[in-house]
Amino acid sequence: MRNIQKIIKDGARKAVARDDVKYVLGWTPGYGFRVSPFFARTAEDTERLIFSPLCANNLTIYLTLQEKLPLPKAAALDKRKIALFVKGCDSRAVIQLIAERGISRDELVILGVPCGGVIDISKLEAKFPQAIKVEAVEEGEKLSLKVDGKSQEIPKEDILLKKCSLCEYPNPLIYDVLLGEEKQKKTKDYQGISTFEEKSPNEKWTYWGDKFARCIRCYACRNICPLCYCDSCILDKLSPQWIRRSVNLSENTVFQLLRTFHLTGRCIGCGECERACPMGIPVGELNRKLEKDVRELFAYEPGIDIEEKSLLSQFKPEDSEDFIL
Amino acid sequence: MSENFEPNIVAFLCNWCSYAGADLAGTARISYPPNVKVIRVMCSGRMNPSFVINALQQGADGVLISGCHPGECHYMEGNYIARRRFTLIKKLMEYIGIEPERFRVSWVSASEGEKFKNVIAEVTEDIRKIGQMKQLKREV
Repeated sequence: MRNIQKIIKDGARKAVARDDVKYVLGWTPGYGFRVSPFFARTAEDTERLIFSPLCANNLTIYLTLQEKLPLPKAAALDKRKIALFVKGCDSRAVIQLIAERGISRDELVILGVPCGGVIDISKLEAKFPQAIKVEAVEEGEKLSLKVDGKSQEIPKEDILLKKCSLCEYPNPLIYDVLLGEEKQKKTKDYQGISTFEEKSPNEKWTYWGDKFARCIRCYACRNICPLCYCDSCILDKLSPQWIRRSVNLSENTVFQLLRTFHLTGRCIGCGECERACPMGIPVGELNRKLEKDVRELFAYEPGIDIEEKSLLSQFKPEDSEDFIL
Repeated sequence: MSENFEPNIVAFLCNWCSYAGADLAGTARISYPPNVKVIRVMCSGRMNPSFVINALQQGADGVLISGCHPGECHYMEGNYIARRRFTLIKKLMEYIGIEPERFRVSWVSASEGEKFKNVIAEVTEDIRKIGQMKQLKREV
């Protein structure tokens, strides 16, 4: 097996050498266990790119965050493509974006990397609080770590992000080039959610009320979401103001309800919202709940087909309506 | 809950069926609980989940949405599209611990004055049992 790092760098170098590519979006090592997104514009830049189980970032967000400044006189619009690395879940975000006409397929060069799951770095940071320079290599079911010179092996199951231990799409669903070997699929189940649904409203509210009360309304979950890219967001609107800016339980709850609802049938479960939350609120759980319902009730899954119509703009006459009087 | 709790219910009725149904209940002198405040919308498809949530925040103990029966929508398919939305927002609200009785949907046609009365009576009774809205109510 060839070294994955070399494959990544080669793939990026080839992409950046193309005349019709602006830059390559990839990952580069950051401080400690963190990995930062990286824009490689030249062949030298591509040497800094890596791919390891620490690369949790979903780079798709940078496609819709591009600044579109007014052009100076007589300047031509840079119509070159963007090349980006996608893992399995990221590729579904790309598909969903294309299906919603958020971005056009012609603007992208997609470099797919099969992914065996990414690591929850908060768990690693708890184990190695002082880590500065880290190298992580995936070796089958284990993660071999080099923390400040010392080598370590940790079973991956213990430190994987929750969404990754149930990942159905480890291999990118859309790509121009596939780098690396395809990974084995896992089966998804909604066990935790079904058990929670059984509880009484009071128990549920005790759990969620406590979580929502912690929210500081930093909007990190919205800002990092690859599919929250509306120009005018309901959260920023003042007239009508559906959500007040004050931080209290009522407004926090409404914020989370509406944020989740706006992602119904669109959320592809990359789990970035949960990862970005500084208060440790399991916001992704709400998205997973709706994902489960959408699957069970409407047999619909977003981010699979670029021709798919959106869930809420279509209907079937036989849709369930058992709760309607 | 105190004995004399009177629920506060906001009903969003569609202009073509349910509003006319409520009107019929009125002209036929059918009496129904006075706890319901009616807001007329042009179609149940006009309903945005924010309306429901906002009503609950501002002191409603329950929200009722009523529209034409499926297939009878004045705008052909407004209520079909709305139905998916209602199903999902209801599931989501239940998941965070808001009682299922707080958010109800019904289909009432222009000729169903009697059914309108029954719906309102049922919704009011259910909410009277579970008491005031606590979860979303603004503190102000």
